[in-house]
Amino acid sequence: MSASLATRQFSAPGEASPVLVRHVTQGMINAYAEASGDFNPIHVDPEFAAAGPFGRTIAHGLMTLAFVSQMLNEWTAGAFDETGEIDVAFVGPVYTGDTVEVSGTVEDIVERDGRQCARIKLQCSAGVRQILAGHAIQPIE
Amino acid sequence: MSEYRRYDEIAVGDVFPETPLSFKVSEKVVNGFLAATSNEDALYHGGEIRRAPSMIASVYLIDLLMARRSPPGGIHAKQAIRFHRAIAIGETLVMQGRVVEKYTRKERPYMVADFEARGSDGTLVTSGRITSIWGKDQ
Repeated sequence: MSASLATRQFSAPGEASPVLVRHVTQGMINAYAEASGDFNPIHVDPEFAAAGPFGRTIAHGLMTLAFVSQMLNEWTAGAFDETGEIDVAFVGPVYTGDTVEVSGTVEDIVERDGRQCARIKLQCSAGVRQILAGHAIQPIE
Repeated sequence: MSEYRRYDEIAVGDVFPETPLSFKVSEKVVNGFLAATSNEDALYHGGEIRRAPSMIASVYLIDLLMARRSPPGGIHAKQAIRFHRAIAIGETLVMQGRVVEKYTRKERPYMVADFEARGSDGTLVTSGRITSIWGKDQ
């Protein structure tokens, strides 16, 4: 695992991650429901969801978070899996048919539990709509 | 006993479930998760001991959330997760949550819970905090 390779990539504020893009379909949402066991009708039942606050089915928030984690692991060569941290609010829904774009930018270098860490501002959007707000913390030493 | 719990039945300090949940990080579960999220990263394929993506947490957290017995229609509002070590396929994790806060905002009933997942050797694997809007009482 080349964590050292990864940490060199975000050792300074302003460093930007690769952008991960995922097109979300109802089939994908259904597959995530199967994989996770979360069959909340707001995700998988169009009739139920039509009467709910969003008027149609939405993707699982944790599925979107999985995309964020995927981007962070690609950026850090897997170091995020071992020591990463994430703190987000789900500020907007992902609808069937949305194309979600996920990326991050090093905002600051901070100390956490005695270790130098990159504080990464996360960007996650579907077109002009913001989906997530939050940040990730990744040790860099 | 109703299948679901009413919001007013939940109290700060409640532990859920009473007996910690066990979750096997099986190859089937990992493969399903990777396929559903279009994750083809070489990190998770090959090697003597196959690694699982730490965000498989998003699968076992569902089991934990279901243990709260919230009615359908609830919304996941915020999520904080910290990973403490990598996990491998074949491991069994044990997890439990605890309600740390309840509040109502814009007439929506919120519940905040902390959780931990540990390996069979007792080492901490994942910790975090879940903030949810409770489903409509039935």
